[in-house]
Amino acid sequence: MLRLFLSLILAATFFGSFSAKAETELWGDFSGVTLRVKLIGGGQYEGLYNEVIPWWEENTGGKIEIVTQKNHFELDKEIKKDIASGNLDFCVASNHTSFASQYGDIYTDLNDIMPASVLADYTPLILDHSTVNGRLVQMPRHSDVSNLYYQKSLYENADNKANFKAEYGYELTPPETWDQVKDQSIFFSNPPDFYGTQYVGKEEAIAGRFYELVIANGGALFDEDYRPIFNSDAGVEALQWFIDLYNAKAVPEGVLNYLWDDTGLGFASGTIAMNLDWAGWAGFFNDPENSKVAGDIGLVRAPMGSGGLRTGWSGSHSFSMTESCPDKEAAASFLWALTSNKAQMIEARGGLSPTRPAIWDAIIAEKKAEGDEFMLMVFETFKMSLAEDAFTPPLIPEWIEFTNALYPELQAAILGDKSPEDALATASKKATEIMEDAGYF
Amino acid sequence: MRKFLSGPWVLLLPTLIILTCVVLLPLLLSLWTSFTPFKLTKPDTLYRFVGFRNYERLIGDIDFWVAFGRTVLFLAIALNLELVFGLGIALLINKITYGQRTLRTLMMFPMMFSPILVGFQWKYIFNDNIGLLNNFLREFGVIQPIPWLVDGVLANISIMAAEIWSSTSVFAILLLAGLLGIPKDPLEAARVDGCNSWQVFKNITLPFLMPFVFIAMTIRSLDVARAYDIVQMMTGGGPAKRTELLWTLISRTGYVDAKMGMANAMSYISIFLSIAFTFFFFYKLMQSRQQLSYE
Repeated sequence: MLRLFLSLILAATFFGSFSAKAETELWGDFSGVTLRVKLIGGGQYEGLYNEVIPWWEENTGGKIEIVTQKNHFELDKEIKKDIASGNLDFCVASNHTSFASQYGDIYTDLNDIMPASVLADYTPLILDHSTVNGRLVQMPRHSDVSNLYYQKSLYENADNKANFKAEYGYELTPPETWDQVKDQSIFFSNPPDFYGTQYVGKEEAIAGRFYELVIANGGALFDEDYRPIFNSDAGVEALQWFIDLYNAKAVPEGVLNYLWDDTGLGFASGTIAMNLDWAGWAGFFNDPENSKVAGDIGLVRAPMGSGGLRTGWSGSHSFSMTESCPDKEAAASFLWALTSNKAQMIEARGGLSPTRPAIWDAIIAEKKAEGDEFMLMVFETFKMSLAEDAFTPPLIPEWIEFTNALYPELQAAILGDKSPEDALATASKKATEIMEDAGYF
Repeated sequence: MRKFLSGPWVLLLPTLIILTCVVLLPLLLSLWTSFTPFKLTKPDTLYRFVGFRNYERLIGDIDFWVAFGRTVLFLAIALNLELVFGLGIALLINKITYGQRTLRTLMMFPMMFSPILVGFQWKYIFNDNIGLLNNFLREFGVIQPIPWLVDGVLANISIMAAEIWSSTSVFAILLLAGLLGIPKDPLEAARVDGCNSWQVFKNITLPFLMPFVFIAMTIRSLDVARAYDIVQMMTGGGPAKRTELLWTLISRTGYVDAKMGMANAMSYISIFLSIAFTFFFFYKLMQSRQQLSYE
């Protein structure tokens, strides 16, 4: 048993504001230890470090040296280069459930390091998603799934209600299915001033959106042997949904160059009726300083596809510890601190979805006490969505490479360069080559 | 042996060692990786020799050759436009007698921006929804937004505009240096003989400038053939590969897909492109110098 666990304390929770179950804390005396860390950077991620790093340093005597702080895609490239050069001279790094399987065995199996009582504080399903080949390689920081934000006033407008019913034959209410999203998007659109919806249009982003719609339509990307099977009725139907919206000009024409910031800022600009987006945007959307739709936002669970399932592409941001770390006890303590009750409460207040059940209860109780109806709706919706709708992409090392083969074909079909069937056939051929090269069959 | 240990070789030895370490060895290593299935995330694959498999795959890879062809076209158009604009700017500045230094400094401003910043800036300008250009055009009655970064032709023109804005001053500076170095006697003699401005430019100024033109062409051809940052920021090679150039493809293959062996095979094929352009421009440089010395 590591020295660290001598200092393991079953402490009462330090939150005065709620009475969640006691949290297992991992403190220790790490005077003289400096942990080199590589962290994801960006506005919504860095607040945590400003609070937790001084807190950990004060309680342990250890020091944190941030070697790198950059966006996740750049960090991913850097870590791949580190692996190639064998230069893994850091202890802790940001990770993600969709990325983790690429990195082989550079990260420590935390099942051997973290006490069971610590792991018991996290949602078991999320720990499952954080496990690669039976090894728990990351401690989950916060989870992501998308739900549908919309402008409430559009649905309350009597003219809109009457005109929509006359045109489509059913009531105008926030959509329950992706077909309804399509109808309503076309109905609301008035390009170039206003669009019904939008989607992220490139790289892993559009591949992920396509993936979740295939699942919701009752299809799958791969069979049990990882042979591509997305060139199917469910796949064509999913791709056709993107094409129809594009052709109807119900999404901005430049949408194929959009990534998350573009869609988030687009909805906040007030020119988009509905926006499928992550929980982390909720606070921004409802902040009058940043958003023209503040105070007019509704939120519903992600709609269903033709297979009766809701879309729920999900993943978790996380932190990992390298095998080469010389101070694993200190690193374990720091991993715990970064994902502790205190840390998760800080991020939850910003709208991010926690990975500890206790924090869900705490943040909902806090928002109720504050009378913050909007954030209460956000947390309740995302809690339900993560519990009932969420599914991860295939947790295989080839995921990113696969999405890079898939997304140009999706774009080609959306732009009309290819039929959906041709595009998916080409993507399927490339995916087969990738999986063959990787030795799946 | 004694000959090798004598003065000149000993003096050259430090340079040779440094060049071997920083140029030759990395080149040999990357050449080796192009014959392996080397993945960044699987360092062991560096030692698995697969012969010409990466090159064989590339020969049949239509996406690679389309990107190759687009890079050649992009290079040819961008270089020629930069030459025309750079020459125009240099000629105009050469005529100015007051404030020339200030203008020369101002002209270099675009070069001072990092290519990533240039990419962001032009991406915003060409954004179909909130971009400056479409909003400007709306003021003049163009109601439907133009999809600058989506349409295949427009997207390539947009990227070229950013590239030209950022680097035309390289041509302008080099050509201005050439213009300032032209002796006055032949120009004055031509005017005394009754030549008009066009005849003076065509028969005296331009031949004197040609060595500078080819030096600028060589430098910029190497830069443009490696165009990455601006393209990556503006379109990432998309949508649907409509703006894919060699280096966006190579970078994605090497660093995102982690297939460094394949990426290096692509790089070695693309190096031939740079060698071809460099050889062509040096050949033309020699020719223009010879022509000048005859005259």
